[in-house]
Amino acid sequence: MRPPVLRVLGVSKSFGGAAALRNVSVEFRPGEVHALMGMNGAGKSTLVQIISGALNPDEGLLEVDGHTQNHLTPRRARRVGISCVPQRRELVMTLTVAENIMLGDLPASGSMVRWNRVRATAQRALTDLGIAIDADAVAGDLTVAEQTMVEVAREVRRGGRVLILDEPTACLGPEAAAQIRELVLRLRDNGVAIVFISHHISEVLHLADRITVLRDGQVTWAGLAKETDEKGLVRDMVGRDVVSRRPVRPAGSPDVGISIRRLCDGRFLDRFDVDVRRGEIVAVLGPAGDAQSRLFDLLSGRRRPDSGTVSIGGRAVRPGRIAHSLASGLRCVTGDRRRLGLIPGLTIDENVLLAQDRLEGRRLHRWGRLAERAAPLRDDYRVVSLVRNPPVEQLSGGNQQKVLLAKWLGTAPSAVLLEDPTNGVDVAAMAEIHSLVDGLTGQGVAVLLASSSAEEVMRLADRVVVVRDGRRIAEYQVDRITRDELLAATLGGAL
Amino acid sequence: MTSPSTLAKPKPAASPLARLRSIPHLGLLAVLIAIVIFASVRTDAFLNPNNLINVARQVSVVAVIAAGLTLLMVAGGMDFSMGGNVAVTTAVAAQMLSHGWSTAVTLAVSIALSIAVGLVNGAVVTFTRVAPFVATLATATLLDGVALLVIDGMSISIDDHLSTLGNGKTLGLPNLTFVAALVLAVTAFVMRYTTFGRDAFAIGGNEDVARLSGINVVRDKLLLYGLAGALSGLAGIMLLSRLAASSPGTGGLQLQLTAVAAVVIGGTSLAGGKGTIGGTILGVLLLGVVANVLNLLQISSYYQQISVGAVLLVAAVANLMQSRGKH
Repeated sequence: MRPPVLRVLGVSKSFGGAAALRNVSVEFRPGEVHALMGMNGAGKSTLVQIISGALNPDEGLLEVDGHTQNHLTPRRARRVGISCVPQRRELVMTLTVAENIMLGDLPASGSMVRWNRVRATAQRALTDLGIAIDADAVAGDLTVAEQTMVEVAREVRRGGRVLILDEPTACLGPEAAAQIRELVLRLRDNGVAIVFISHHISEVLHLADRITVLRDGQVTWAGLAKETDEKGLVRDMVGRDVVSRRPVRPAGSPDVGISIRRLCDGRFLDRFDVDVRRGEIVAVLGPAGDAQSRLFDLLSGRRRPDSGTVSIGGRAVRPGRIAHSLASGLRCVTGDRRRLGLIPGLTIDENVLLAQDRLEGRRLHRWGRLAERAAPLRDDYRVVSLVRNPPVEQLSGGNQQKVLLAKWLGTAPSAVLLEDPTNGVDVAAMAEIHSLVDGLTGQGVAVLLASSSAEEVMRLADRVVVVRDGRRIAEYQVDRITRDELLAATLGGAL
Repeated sequence: MTSPSTLAKPKPAASPLARLRSIPHLGLLAVLIAIVIFASVRTDAFLNPNNLINVARQVSVVAVIAAGLTLLMVAGGMDFSMGGNVAVTTAVAAQMLSHGWSTAVTLAVSIALSIAVGLVNGAVVTFTRVAPFVATLATATLLDGVALLVIDGMSISIDDHLSTLGNGKTLGLPNLTFVAALVLAVTAFVMRYTTFGRDAFAIGGNEDVARLSGINVVRDKLLLYGLAGALSGLAGIMLLSRLAASSPGTGGLQLQLTAVAAVVIGGTSLAGGKGTIGGTILGVLLLGVVANVLNLLQISSYYQQISVGAVLLVAAVANLMQSRGKH
């Protein structure tokens, strides 16, 4: 076994009296994929910030190649070969891939940039990693997966020997996620030490060589991936067993809640039909960015479809009007909570009641009553925060997602569109969100689930419509198909 | 994961320093107090009641503009034409009064005019999606020209019309200050307790989310620009009553920049979503006091500009350092 390139020894860190990390020790070796797992707030991001130099530990030390590194800064961390690809893409979207890769290090003679060298070096950095992306493409035109790859190539070219990948496969469809995983394996075979952060347990079990699990700032399990299994990992992360299983649901009522007929929108949707009965969950499954990701814009009224109709409870909704969509009893919960879901600077209570207060036509807000009115929703949706009512931007992803669900599902909807409802959320929060969605069907709500995750569809839906290139290619009863068959069906159209 | 035990834990006792930090706008307050102390030591004239009343009268006009601007900027908007709107209002009102129109009709017409200007700004910004900065800078230039046209480049006196407002006092304080205080109080109430005010925060925080949450963003924006116009009109009337004449250069871009500076010093975010009337009041006072002190000390107008700029910079940095310290 090769000696570790980076060692974390007995590191502790606390913020304002609350311990984020307690006596954590980890070793990262070259040619190894080392997964960090844990729930939101377990201390993963604090640990990542410490090894990438953004934070200094209160106690303990870091060793790179056997040399102690005191007072690491992001710049020094990068110089010794530790680099981080964060969860949100950090490319300059208006520049080309080549410029992005060479950013801060443009080859120049005098003060003139040598564009040929820029292009050639960047292209070589990409091809060396087996990435087929044109260096002249504009970064903003790439898919999210391709942008991630460009960032990886940039870090590797800069000499990254320890590469921290923070949830690189979140928000990606199965195919794109597979591409990222292949890249990770190639990097590993090139001798890079990979720190891999992911909430997808099955992905980690397949990909990682070694796993370290954190809970409440402490290491609860560390060892080789082959020594553990899904159940064990969950127990180490949560501290108890988490079961999220399909409940037995009574047959839905015969009344149709949502009816979509011949919906067309550019190349994204081509004469799309679906019916959802009340008390039923119907999933639309497709690769990320395909037809299902247009449903939010069209159903919420943000965007007008080219043609086609949407009816809620038998009554047609006027297209392209947010007010009409809301008045019909339809609630659309976005999968992009940062951009379209929450107002980051406002508090939990205000975000939770944002839509409800407007729908009720409330004119005056008494701040004492605000907390009182928000309390039941916060309890029902298990929103947890350290201080009483912080701005939502300070919450973990899982809690933000619960605030978003509370905001919309607390308004007594008759029909709901859910877009990737457990995006970037840990196992425990995921199980809670799943049972909240189960609860909706009990109230006779028609639920349309737009998803790019086959697991989620298998867990939640009664029926699934598979889409590809804007067309519906198949429909199944979920209890008569296996996950693998469903995955095969999703990928089938590609061949 | 936040375990219940961390929730139950009592908060660590706040140190005196931390408690001090939690006072809103501490940096700004400190700068203001320092300047007041400096001024009262250097010159007896500063604490003279007549001087203080004069300062109160001067800041009242800026305060009314700044109140409207705070609400608008919280919603992510911007109006550079409020000073120009003031100039046009004073010009029109002065011409009407000097031509024998009654005070009531004059007020009604000039306020209506200023609201119309605000609504035009709002319509341009909302429907064409031109950046508010650009659109209102254009109207500002346009309005400054219109104001000159209305008074034909001359000074139009209004004799003692409006003098109750401009020079009258109640309980020893200028009437203008009461008007400004009322406007500030109502704006603060609207911002905190009404749906319209909270909508402004939501729109400034994330306009897409606001729209999806059922907020009528178009209507709210038009109202906000209309309100900014109305308050410009009121400020115009107040300014006219104080000066008893409308001359070239009354109102205009200089007044506008003072108001913008006051609001920004007060901690209102240029990006929207954050801001308080309390901060704006402090910003207005700070700029008013600095201008007054420099005058009293008979410092040359070159240095006056330099000092105002320096104060702006110091206050802005102090504000930012405090908000960072909280994190």
